[in-house]
Amino acid sequence: MNRGRLAKYSLWQFRDFVMDKGIAIVIIGALMGFLQLLPLRLSASPLPPELVTRLVTTLARTLVLIWVFIALNGIISTDRKMGYYRFLFAKPVSPVRYYAQLYFIHLVGLLAALLLLSTAFFVFAGSFSVWNLVMYTTLIYVAMGGIGFFLSAATTHDWVALAAVWLGSGVLRAIFGNGTGWRGTAVELLPPVHKVDGVATSLISAGTAPLNDVVWLAAYGALFFLLGLLVVHRRPLAA
Amino acid sequence: MDGVPAANAYGDSSAVVIELTNVGKTYRSLLGNSVKAVEEFSLRVADGEIFGIAGPNGAGKTTLIAMLLGYLRPTTGTVEIDGLPARTYVERQGIGYLSELININPKWRADTALVRFATLAGIPESHVPARVDEVIELLGLGEHREKKVKALSKGNLQRLGLAQALLRDERLLVLDEPTHGLDPVWTQRFRDIVGDLRRADRTIIIASHNLDELQRVADRVGIIDHGRLQRVVSTGYDNEQIAATRFRIVLANGHERMLEVFPGAEAVGRGEYGVTVRSIEELNSLLADLIGGGALIASVMPERSVLEQQFREAVGETK
Repeated sequence: MNRGRLAKYSLWQFRDFVMDKGIAIVIIGALMGFLQLLPLRLSASPLPPELVTRLVTTLARTLVLIWVFIALNGIISTDRKMGYYRFLFAKPVSPVRYYAQLYFIHLVGLLAALLLLSTAFFVFAGSFSVWNLVMYTTLIYVAMGGIGFFLSAATTHDWVALAAVWLGSGVLRAIFGNGTGWRGTAVELLPPVHKVDGVATSLISAGTAPLNDVVWLAAYGALFFLLGLLVVHRRPLAA
Repeated sequence: MDGVPAANAYGDSSAVVIELTNVGKTYRSLLGNSVKAVEEFSLRVADGEIFGIAGPNGAGKTTLIAMLLGYLRPTTGTVEIDGLPARTYVERQGIGYLSELININPKWRADTALVRFATLAGIPESHVPARVDEVIELLGLGEHREKKVKALSKGNLQRLGLAQALLRDERLLVLDEPTHGLDPVWTQRFRDIVGDLRRADRTIIIASHNLDELQRVADRVGIIDHGRLQRVVSTGYDNEQIAATRFRIVLANGHERMLEVFPGAEAVGRGEYGVTVRSIEELNSLLADLIGGGALIASVMPERSVLEQQFREAVGETK
């Protein structure tokens, strides 16, 4: 039995991530970071630590969502749309394992980009906890990325679908979040976008967050990641 | 010989590699419309066989191949390779597959694309560079190996697709329109390559519009139309087929002997005659008479191959 060397192929997957998404992620991060930082650096030097942490938290709330969005966009659907699956999966390779590995490779790539940007930010702005930022990014990747992974497996227009689900959940929660009855129950089943801001503030600044919120975010994303793998397994590649 | 009726279109059952049993595929739209792409398709292909698939556009060839690789699931029936569901077999063993459309990431370099596919195919790491060099040499891609895929011409891209299919010593090869976009030199080279690939334990499936190509390389050809297997044709010549075949004889000289030896011969061009015979023996005997009478024969060939005749009958385009 020949399983192929999927683990060895991870180096190629990482290279593709760097070329296709990593560079864009770093450029966007650098531009947004220094646009925020520059006025502060001109007015005060060195920056007070609490200001740096507040700045990092504000930046991370927006940037990490954008990064995850970029990292997951087309992770499965591109191969279907462009027909790349034809040669890839004529080899002795399981698509389920291939895409599960790709999901983790993209996380590794995203964290590598984060560390690169954090180092630069650390040098120019001052000290903050990079570890806290890594934890937050990983959590958002699992929460939002799991949903993105599922949508990429199930649809061809995954970035539109992910944006609609993520933003739509926020809107519906704002409208029906305090409701009772079936609407209130239904809203509770939507992606827990309302927990992201609270978790971001506490996790990035203090390194801790309410356990229930963290578990709910991670479990929600992990469930959709598993559902995505199920779709890859069940849905014919040419469908 | 007439084509074997579809219902009995089974090869040698002692060494069946591919078995399709009552396979059907219906595409359904969200609005409820449905199109039957393949219907009641049964076929067995044996070890060591080169099996061709021919059919007009939209006949169902691509759908059939997608089901053979497990990229589509049949609506009815089963597709098995070596006794396993098609997708299970592919994930375990792999297939040398050349698709009609060469879908390789345009940003990849030609040689690194082959390294990637070799890695996925499970070729030992230490053998990958040598194997990649071999297929590049075989397919004449040496001067293009460092080019991006998007910079390759249609013919070179086709050869790259073929190269990735030949990377590993596969037991099963599925080639969809393999000579599409190739120039005449590489079309001939492809035939040589397929000839070299023929092995008792290797099965090769070739789907093509090019009946001449299938006639030359395939042992049997399944003719598909409207999603159904219309008939399976053996590409060799026997007496029954000869009786239904019109030959074209081209003479260098000795034209005066032609009508004496072949009374029914019809002049169809300069030094060219169309003749019909009852058997191979009669054809050879009459040709011997012609040569014995001093004629010099430049060529003898069927006006239409067995496959071409069968194809025309099967898809309703009679002469």
